[in-house]
Amino acid sequence: MPPVIYADKCTGCGICYKECPLDVFRWEGPGRAPTVAYPDECWHCGACMVDCPIPGAIDIRLPLPLMILHVESPTARPPVESPEAIRVRAGGGM
Amino acid sequence: MGAAVDLDPNPVVSDVLVVGGGIGGLMAAIRAAEVGAGVAVIEKGDARRSGSGGMGNDHFACYIPEVHGDVNAVVQEHMLSTLGGLQDLSMVRAYYMKSFEIVQLWEKWGISMRPHGHWEFTGHALPGHIRFFLKFAGANQKTVLEKQARYHHVRIFNRTPAVELLKEDGRVVGAVGIDSSRDEPVIRIFLAKSVVLTTGSTNRIYPPTTPAWLFNSPFMPTNTGDGRAMALRAGANLVNMEFPYTHAGPRYLERSGKATWVGYFKDPRGNRASAFLDRPSKELGEPTSDIFHGLFDHYRDTGRGPVYMDTTEDTDDDIEYMEWGHRNEGNVYLLKALKEEGVDFRRHMVEFGRYNPAFTSGRGIEVNEAGETNVEGLYSAGDEMGNLRATLGGAAVFGWIAGESAAGRALSTEAPRLEDPAGHPAVRRVHSLARSFMDRNSGASWREANIALEQIMWDYAGIRVRSENLLTAGLTYLRTLRRKAIDGVAAANSHELVRTFEVLDLMDVGEAAIEAALERKETRFTHARVDYPYTNPLYTDMFLRMRRTGGELGSEGEYGFEWRRRH
Repeated sequence: MPPVIYADKCTGCGICYKECPLDVFRWEGPGRAPTVAYPDECWHCGACMVDCPIPGAIDIRLPLPLMILHVESPTARPPVESPEAIRVRAGGGM
Repeated sequence: MGAAVDLDPNPVVSDVLVVGGGIGGLMAAIRAAEVGAGVAVIEKGDARRSGSGGMGNDHFACYIPEVHGDVNAVVQEHMLSTLGGLQDLSMVRAYYMKSFEIVQLWEKWGISMRPHGHWEFTGHALPGHIRFFLKFAGANQKTVLEKQARYHHVRIFNRTPAVELLKEDGRVVGAVGIDSSRDEPVIRIFLAKSVVLTTGSTNRIYPPTTPAWLFNSPFMPTNTGDGRAMALRAGANLVNMEFPYTHAGPRYLERSGKATWVGYFKDPRGNRASAFLDRPSKELGEPTSDIFHGLFDHYRDTGRGPVYMDTTEDTDDDIEYMEWGHRNEGNVYLLKALKEEGVDFRRHMVEFGRYNPAFTSGRGIEVNEAGETNVEGLYSAGDEMGNLRATLGGAAVFGWIAGESAAGRALSTEAPRLEDPAGHPAVRRVHSLARSFMDRNSGASWREANIALEQIMWDYAGIRVRSENLLTAGLTYLRTLRRKAIDGVAAANSHELVRTFEVLDLMDVGEAAIEAALERKETRFTHARVDYPYTNPLYTDMFLRMRRTGGELGSEGEYGFEWRRRH
């Protein structure tokens, strides 16, 4: 359930708890990682993720009902191949 | 049983009280402070990120004389195209005459209003017509405005939503708020000479496209019509409440920013479904769903859907421009989700859909060109305004205007005299309701009441079929539900208590919307009366103005109506 806080990375600054417009988090104080008290009230605005000072300490998982429906377009462009893929296809001789 | 509900008997006193710290509220607060008023803002969340514009915007409706020439050309295009509907032309004109001043102010404060070095107008535009949506980089708009407010010594009370206005001798003199910064709620009293309501749109009143995910909406889901409901109970006029608004975007992840996409609509076989485009245009955006909200339903119902947003014909520059736009529109998370879901703008098309209704800008509180309501001491701005539809810009420009008016009044009037603020009937009503919800050991949750309301609104006051029979039944059911909620909802802490009061406001907005829908006996826009299936020319340019004439918070309202010509 979104969001997810990685307690091993979180420094417990509480900024996500303070800023969340939907009051999704609970926090016991400085140094403690906030917990996600109301996961199903998350709007997926990303404020916690964007404003977290520690890269990777917080993530938001897209719930399955909100999946992004997509299909390949009839006018799809061929995927851009990575140099590595081209090298492999070319037999590694590039 | 929840915690006790304390009442702080010492009021917070200011010249101007602003209810809501979004774009409109912060602009009102900054302007009021700038002209010399002492200002307090009470905010449900945290003013740095709250509101529908909390993470950014990339379009600001703006008139620039050197670009557009005559203002009337912009006013005409505004009415014709994406913003249309029933609005006062005097308000639209007042908006545009002020818009460039506000845009320049934002630029001065550090919001990038011409990120590409010139005034660039793209999106929400029709082929061959003038464009008036200024493309800007607004990802930092809220943090910049919050800093400006602090710089002007505005006192911001976060986690403190207002739940009722205080009135004395016919004038608004403050508001009652619930401090929810701790688990134990505290009722706080705010007294002021004038009050500006800026609580945004009304969401969570119809079911989302994802029934199991209540907080899925293109606008901030904690914007629950608190301003509209408080204004109603204070006797303010509302207009256009019979016309719910429907937005569109990615089918199940409800987001704003449809004009930020560069691409055009296609059916599953790749045939064009766009009414205006046969190739992508970053200048126009994709205006079809601005004009024809029913496009997606129409394609589904006729077996030709679903409808997809196709970006595969974009140039690489277009795609870069679109991704940059989404970041500034506050759609950082959408971009991340698209990537994680494996969507490649060069290969895939993304299904779009029409979202279920909300009450957004252009249906709500009636104000004049100075942002005043008909109630003495009460002002309103932003997405809760009823007779102007200008979304982000409307909040910024009319927030500024309303803040200036509210301060002008505050600086020239006596402070309200309240002998015993804690004994004011509105304070006592809020306190007693709060205690009854918190004292219950068990009962229904606010969520049940919210979902039940959404069901009733969708089935009996929806956008497909309305009739006197259905609306009347819906009104009866809504009132029964309200009584059950008052008698049966239990809240365990301040968070749940705030949600419970949100639902009471949603019920008042819903009740008003049904009453208005009963009164407008014709079919127009989203108001589809099957018992009056025609658009009546006698009602063209006629606002249905409504006023709640009785009924305190949490009880049945009584309503009065009058028709007025738009001006």
